[in-house]
Amino acid sequence: MSLIFKSNNLSLGYGNQLVINNKDISLELSKNYEIIGKNGSGKTTLIMCISNNFIGNTFKSDIERGNNSIIEIGSTPSLISKMSLIENINYFLHNENLVKENVIEILNKYELYNFKDDLIEDFSSGMVKRSEIAIADIKNPDVLCVDEPVVYLDENGVKLLFDLFSKRESVGKTTILSSQESINALKDVERTINLND
Amino acid sequence: MIKKFIIKKEINMEFRNNTSLFLITPTMCVLIILFPILSENRFRVDSDIFLIVELLFLIIFTTLFSIRNPLDEQKLVKELNFGTIKKVDYFYSKTVSEVGIFYPQIILLLILFSGFTNTSLNSPLIHISLAVLFFCLNTIMINLFFQVFTSFSNRFVQFTLIVPIYIGFAILIAPLWLGVNQDISNIYLVMYLGITLVVYAFTNFYLRSAK
Repeated sequence: MSLIFKSNNLSLGYGNQLVINNKDISLELSKNYEIIGKNGSGKTTLIMCISNNFIGNTFKSDIERGNNSIIEIGSTPSLISKMSLIENINYFLHNENLVKENVIEILNKYELYNFKDDLIEDFSSGMVKRSEIAIADIKNPDVLCVDEPVVYLDENGVKLLFDLFSKRESVGKTTILSSQESINALKDVERTINLND
Repeated sequence: MIKKFIIKKEINMEFRNNTSLFLITPTMCVLIILFPILSENRFRVDSDIFLIVELLFLIIFTTLFSIRNPLDEQKLVKELNFGTIKKVDYFYSKTVSEVGIFYPQIILLLILFSGFTNTSLNSPLIHISLAVLFFCLNTIMINLFFQVFTSFSNRFVQFTLIVPIYIGFAILIAPLWLGVNQDISNIYLVMYLGITLVVYAFTNFYLRSAK
């Protein structure tokens, strides 16, 4: 099995403050994972570390990573606020062979087509999240990490997100979710990492 | 290594940013117009203080340019990972876009300074242009290096650390403005090229070895 992330002594924190202490974590490709925990337990920190977005103290933890494409849809948006949605799509999907019709189809699916020329800074939090999900859908990375999946999304947005998870599961792509409790969005979960322990 | 889509995005952002260079440049131009009147009550500056004042304007302008829009390390990492963009590609593309934005404006600033202070250049234009280009490249690479590899997101800390380096780079231009002979000008230009290559090699080493 191809490796995504492995650490036998993972400790993470900010400055000298420890958030995650000595965890054994091993994640493999084509399997799904869930991270659950209370506020402040380190869910966001862990998912950021897995997706290589963590800036903080790793306390010399031994971290091994596979060579996979990973996208994180996190609590803070990755999109560039001063650019329009279509400009963001062209920027973040620069190495994909974008077909205009496919982009239009995806934008229609996520009900974003009418907003494609609007600046991201004028979007609501839910719209920003939808946009990121749409980009993740087009990009189809090996690993998709989603922090607090249902936050900011309306009923239809949640359905679209869950459909994306099902689509990814059917083609053997990995999805990693983090939330306060299990949201039962994935059919097969290899491991639930409980940070309350 | 240099990606067109990053350059396009950076130039777009520059036009849309409220604290952009397009606000700093007119301010500097007004200062240049006012400076001779304030200091000597006429549209002319004595040649003995012209050089030091021109260097001072160059340093102030470059510093304002550098601190106009500090990079947020966390945001940058997220952006690069979300777009699967390599740090090395981002660094050099951003350097090119910054030179593209900064170089024409700094040349314009120097022309304005020379014009409004009624002082002429003492060296060939090509030498001055090359020296300023090296100055731009070095200051931009140093500034990006500080922003990408250190946690100095605070404008004051950034200012305190980079100004002494900029003073060093600016002083290297001084002999060319003083009007030294052709051979010494050439030596200074080659020296500046060497420094540019050292800065490039240094940043490249860090970029390649960064995890």
